[in-house]
Amino acid sequence: MRISTQLMFETASNRMSDLQNRLQKTQEQIGSGRRILSPADDPVAATRALDITQSQSINSQYGVNRQYAKSTLGQVETTLAGVTSLMQDVKDTITAAGNGTLNDNQRGFMATELNGRLQQLLGLANSRDAAGNYLFSGFQSNTPAFVQTATGATYQGDQGLQRLQVDATRQMATSSPGSTVFQSGGQDVFATLTDLVNLLNTPGTAGLAAGLATANANMDSALDSVLTVRASVGANLQELDALDNVGEDRNLQYSKALSELQDLDYVQALTQLTQQQVTLEAAQKSFVKTSSLSLFNFM
Amino acid sequence: MATSILSVGQSALAAAQVGINTTGHNIANAATPGYNRQVIVQGAAQAQNFGFGFLGQGVDVSTIKRVYNEFLGNQVQSAQTTKSGLDSHYAQIRQINNLLADPTAGLSPALQEFFTGLQDVASNPTSIPARQSALSSAESLASRFQSMAGRLDEIGRSLNGQIQSSVADINTYGAQIAQLNDAIGKAQRASGQPPNDLLDQRDQLLMELNKHIKVTVVAQGSDYNVFIGNGQPLVVGVSTYTLTNVASATNPEKLEVAYRASNGSLVPLAESALSGGQLGGLLDFRSQSLEPAQNALGRVAIGLASSFNAQHQLGFDLGGAAGGAFFTTATPVVGENSNNTGSAALTASISNVNALTTSDYRLQFDGTNYTVTRLSDNTPTTFAAFPQTIDGVTLNLTAGAAAGDSFLIRPTVNGASGFGVAITDPAKIAAAAQTGAVGDNSNALLLGALQTANTLGNGTVSYQGAYSQFVSQVGNKTRELEVTSSAAGKLLTEATMSLQNESGVNLDEEAANLLRYQQAYQAAGKVMQIASELFDVLLSIGR
Repeated sequence: MRISTQLMFETASNRMSDLQNRLQKTQEQIGSGRRILSPADDPVAATRALDITQSQSINSQYGVNRQYAKSTLGQVETTLAGVTSLMQDVKDTITAAGNGTLNDNQRGFMATELNGRLQQLLGLANSRDAAGNYLFSGFQSNTPAFVQTATGATYQGDQGLQRLQVDATRQMATSSPGSTVFQSGGQDVFATLTDLVNLLNTPGTAGLAAGLATANANMDSALDSVLTVRASVGANLQELDALDNVGEDRNLQYSKALSELQDLDYVQALTQLTQQQVTLEAAQKSFVKTSSLSLFNFM
Repeated sequence: MATSILSVGQSALAAAQVGINTTGHNIANAATPGYNRQVIVQGAAQAQNFGFGFLGQGVDVSTIKRVYNEFLGNQVQSAQTTKSGLDSHYAQIRQINNLLADPTAGLSPALQEFFTGLQDVASNPTSIPARQSALSSAESLASRFQSMAGRLDEIGRSLNGQIQSSVADINTYGAQIAQLNDAIGKAQRASGQPPNDLLDQRDQLLMELNKHIKVTVVAQGSDYNVFIGNGQPLVVGVSTYTLTNVASATNPEKLEVAYRASNGSLVPLAESALSGGQLGGLLDFRSQSLEPAQNALGRVAIGLASSFNAQHQLGFDLGGAAGGAFFTTATPVVGENSNNTGSAALTASISNVNALTTSDYRLQFDGTNYTVTRLSDNTPTTFAAFPQTIDGVTLNLTAGAAAGDSFLIRPTVNGASGFGVAITDPAKIAAAAQTGAVGDNSNALLLGALQTANTLGNGTVSYQGAYSQFVSQVGNKTRELEVTSSAAGKLLTEATMSLQNESGVNLDEEAANLLRYQQAYQAAGKVMQIASELFDVLLSIGR
């Protein structure tokens, strides 16, 4: 079979440029560390990587949301711990006030102390978070939860529960309305304290024992509702820790999947690079040898 | 007798000279594109009867022919036009593919940052910095949409320029082929011999023409008649019919290829008729890759803007006012056919983003009924009255349509470029579900949930999913073209090899021929020398 001399050169040069292109691509892959340089290299993997990247981004956002939730719940818990110990102090004072040896004057001192406790409790109920939002006002987070009145305190917030998306299918309430914490079950802790102060400021002991018994029972019930809220806050904080663990595991899986889809196998790529170099060199050498063969050399 | 010997020697000498000349011509043109090697055809001259028998009168060169196999030539032409078409489509779509190459620069990161910002608002509904940062990430999402749309528009505009220059090239080649038809006809009539080099040039021009568009050739005498598409003539004998460009009747920004009819009017050629070659590849790219890409990106933008706005408008902002539109959205583009004779005007609006497709639509009126055709799969819907909703687009036509009127509706083409952020005041983000509740984040949570909700494609894909579909579409098409173009390249190489192995110049062969004709020339000289010596013998007798 005869061969066209021109075509011989063209074929060789096409072949070499083809080899150079492949070499170039391998180099680009090695330089970027990416197996997929454009969606066309592996459309399925490229698209899947986009979807996984979104899942990973959402997953890490849930982690951020959980941090917010933890911080808010932590402040609620700290505040309610203060409220609990305050209520226990009040109960101690109620017991002490029942002592028959006390005179009106001494009960008056106790009333003054309890009034201080009332102010302290109002302060705790009107606590704000780091951003200045009132913790116990429901959705009215710019409004103090309670204002004091002659008979106790009025709740100014609403029943809104601020929820955070802490996982794909879990929205967690991070706030409790002040009315639930301090005024639930027909008991208003502020009214109880106000009544108590008034009782102890009343001279004489008529109705004192009965009044103190009522106050004690009311404080017990108020303490119960605070402890109930604290229990649920504690459970939420535990759940957040568990969700954090799951989230981290998931993040690791996403990273692994992304790496498998996109990342270059360096060993394979470098082997390929060497192979391609050898082939190109061989093609170049053989081209020089064969192209120099010509009958004209002997004429 | 001696004179006869001299003339035999001379004919041999002349034949050897022609041989050396032809060999030299072959060597000279070994690297000329489209050159086919030439060989001399020689035969014994008419013998003369001298009674004792026929005495040979030397050699005659009857013709010089080019070695050309028309069948193989046609194969190369056809492989070339396929390859050029795929190459030009591939070169164009690679631009879109490269636009999407870097996963950290595409739409996905901007989309994710936007929703991250929104989640931060949900966590801190009263925080102005959190709201401001959500608004900023919305702005950067909008600019990402716009810059991608801008790049696609730019590709579309440069496409128009390339179509024009391709059409100009086709006309030039057509004119040159017509000139060669003329020159070849004249040369052949004058000499009765084939003008080999002119024939090569014409075949080479045909090859160049095939690189631009697929043509069919009908040989008539010495002429090539060249046709494109469904028999639209480009060259007939020595006359040419030029192609030109016209703006599409329904989309002035889109150039179409047209020819001038005998009555002088410009008739656009159907794209299906213009297959193969660079021009066919460009048109394929526009209809199969660019327009679907613009529509797909636009659908993500419109889908996001509309469904997000709908939820946003259910909420209340920091000041307690009802939420407004968060994003601005593009409206469908309606192209009224410039040849419409009626006075009806069409309006189109998007009524359900969930049902939107990435296709364009054509509305046609036949005098009684209206037909809307979805162009991606040619599904028709026929009805008699407006308004009419098809795939989430509500169409309304005023009275006055004439039979034959048509409109082109492109629902999502401007989606990405028309995507913007409508609010500037961070307090206007409607995070609350009830009025006057500043700490309420319920609506922000619902807005955040839209990120993974399947709001598009009739409830089958999320925003990210729709974008992934777009990337996958481009990636797959690019890959497909890469593979088919490389396969077409192999086919072309095979065909070229077969043709060139027969017609191409082999320098070793020519070197051998050179030696052969050189020896023939020397031998012929010897014959003439002997004839001359014989003549000297005669002369010396009379001395």
